[in-house]
Amino acid sequence: MTDEELDQRVRAAVLAEQIDAAPLERSISQRIGRRVLPRWALPVAAGIAIFIASGLAYRAVFSPQTPAICLAAAEDHRREIVNGDPRRWLTDLAAIESLAEKQGVPRSAIAALGTTGYRLERARLCFLKKQIFLHLVYTRDGEEFSVYLRPRGSQSPFDGTVREASIGPEDLAYFQTDRLAAVVVSHRGALPFAVKQRLVLQ
Amino acid sequence: MPHLAALLRVARRLTLNPTFAEDLVQETMLLAWRGFRGFQTGTNARAWLFRILFNAFHGEGRKQAPEVESSTFVNARQQEAVEISEALAALPIEQRTVLLLCVVEGFTCREVAGILDLPTGTVMSRLSRARQELRSSLAPLAKEAYR
Repeated sequence: MTDEELDQRVRAAVLAEQIDAAPLERSISQRIGRRVLPRWALPVAAGIAIFIASGLAYRAVFSPQTPAICLAAAEDHRREIVNGDPRRWLTDLAAIESLAEKQGVPRSAIAALGTTGYRLERARLCFLKKQIFLHLVYTRDGEEFSVYLRPRGSQSPFDGTVREASIGPEDLAYFQTDRLAAVVVSHRGALPFAVKQRLVLQ
Repeated sequence: MPHLAALLRVARRLTLNPTFAEDLVQETMLLAWRGFRGFQTGTNARAWLFRILFNAFHGEGRKQAPEVESSTFVNARQQEAVEISEALAALPIEQRTVLLLCVVEGFTCREVAGILDLPTGTVMSRLSRARQELRSSLAPLAKEAYR
């Protein structure tokens, strides 16, 4: 018998043995899993889970949900300002003020933002959740934001407090004054405080 | 887990006891897990694992069953496989180790020398003696086969 023949027979005999390594693998995985986690890991993980759950529960119970109108405003801003979908806009200030007056939005509200350094660029009417809003677009140094205004209604979801929200990349502020309900949307970070202040004062 | 079956196969032939073999492989994998930083990427992981296995085996004072359990190789289908298994088990452990690594697991003599921390010449001479002894143990079987 040559070395090759002998080796072949030995190999065949040994490899013929059935090896079921699955139970051993499970046992090793369990032992490794136990060793990987330090003793303090489980209580700490449980603590973190409870903390997160409490936070979510608190938010669900005590934080107001972002009104549907705000979601619609963010979507409208993304379509019309960020994506630049073609729309008919009014760019003449007199025409915009006339349109605003017809919608019950005072001229002073439009003029107030002019003092913040932003310039009224264009305006149009739009529907947000079946309600007509005057959509004003202001710009400064290439930065644009949208202001959606309509006369304050009896069932307005807003209140006098300026509330803020982030919906995707859009930052929103929404509130109402004595006369107006307003949603301000920006896609370039938080809205300047001066803008919100000016609007609230109207 | 890679190479687990190969490790278990060699461990069973090494310890001649399935329970000891499983303990040995389990210990090997845990040692490998703990010492994984010591493994150099690009080197032979299989040889590294076998080295750990043999270190663990020798570290445990060669826990070895006094004799082959009758149930150890009951799954071997052919009589020849049983005969070869018994002949293998009867080999001195040093020779059996080298034979298993070279012939069954396909390591080169140089790799086996690295695994067992022996000179390559020693590995080659042990392999040669193992083949010689095995050949003489299996001679009656061979005669029967050619009858």
